[in-house]
Amino acid sequence: MLHTRVETGDTPVIHLEGEIDLDSVETFRWAVTDALRGATEAILDFSRVTFIDSSGTGLLVRLCLDSQAQGVQLRLRDIPPVVDDVFKMLKVRALVGEEAFVD
Amino acid sequence: MNAAPTGNPPTLQVMRYDARRGTLDVIVGERGGLPREVLARRAAEAMRARSFICHTVDDDALLGADEICFIPRADRCEIVSIHTNGWRRHHGDHRRSLVEILNDLAAAVARGTLSFLDDAELAAVSAEGREIFACTIEDTTSLAGARAAVAQVLENQQVGDDARRRLELCVSEATTNMLVHGGGGGTMRLRLVEGLLRAIVADRGPGLSFINWTDEAGGAKQPSMGYGYKIILDNLERVHLHTGDEGTTLILDRTI
Repeated sequence: MLHTRVETGDTPVIHLEGEIDLDSVETFRWAVTDALRGATEAILDFSRVTFIDSSGTGLLVRLCLDSQAQGVQLRLRDIPPVVDDVFKMLKVRALVGEEAFVD
Repeated sequence: MNAAPTGNPPTLQVMRYDARRGTLDVIVGERGGLPREVLARRAAEAMRARSFICHTVDDDALLGADEICFIPRADRCEIVSIHTNGWRRHHGDHRRSLVEILNDLAAAVARGTLSFLDDAELAAVSAEGREIFACTIEDTTSLAGARAAVAQVLENQQVGDDARRRLELCVSEATTNMLVHGGGGGTMRLRLVEGLLRAIVADRGPGLSFINWTDEAGGAKQPSMGYGYKIILDNLERVHLHTGDEGTTLILDRTI
């Protein structure tokens, strides 16, 4: 189960809480797509994500690359170890670029 | 290879050359492509060299694969290829290429992580040990339950956090793959086998294929980019795969 909450503003912040798997990728997609509407930058906060698999990671990579192609920067912050492990396995930083990560 | 996509998805083919018996058996997919004597000769070469050998194939009429890999294993040689059916990655497509996927599969066979099973081997491996959990996976809401079941079993076995997380992830990948490619559902069983936790994920779908490649550039519905198998092969000690017209069974082993 994934819960999302969006802090609106010039740079929307999308807070993710729970598990990102095949069951929740549509919730994830909808939250990000909706928050990006009209924005030039948005932040995805992963601090409360407890699980992600290749379904969620695949969608994240696609959202980042599609946003970049449209001149919109989707930045990722507060990546917990359980998520970072999967990102490392799948070389997400190389795919989306280091600049997408807020350290 | 310059053929245009046929509409059929790329497919996996695995054959087994037995040097003692001189036989060439199909384990996954259909026989076809290169003549038997060519395959046997190349397999014998790989076995003599004791080396995993890949050949590039550029005649689509003969094979429909970009590469064919010969992987010697004791007294036999596994011959693994992906029939691309003309599909290939293009600019802006971030899926893993079929050659990357094939090379990962072949490398996993070479290092002993992955084995392709025939019917008799599947029956034997599936019966080993003692069953401790079984459930059906009917839809995406079942995925969290499958992970929770693995977590509970591992907690009962006092397995550490890192191993637990990796096994949960691999089971999630296998069950997700079953939902996406395996006809929409199946079963997940857990067995204890001499210090191993064995997860057996089985569906009655049409068999393993790369159906997402018929979806342009991965398409909106393609969730995994082909990374699920990479996660599974990188995080487990042994993976067994049986696939055919009557379904796919993936067997995941990890020491606990």
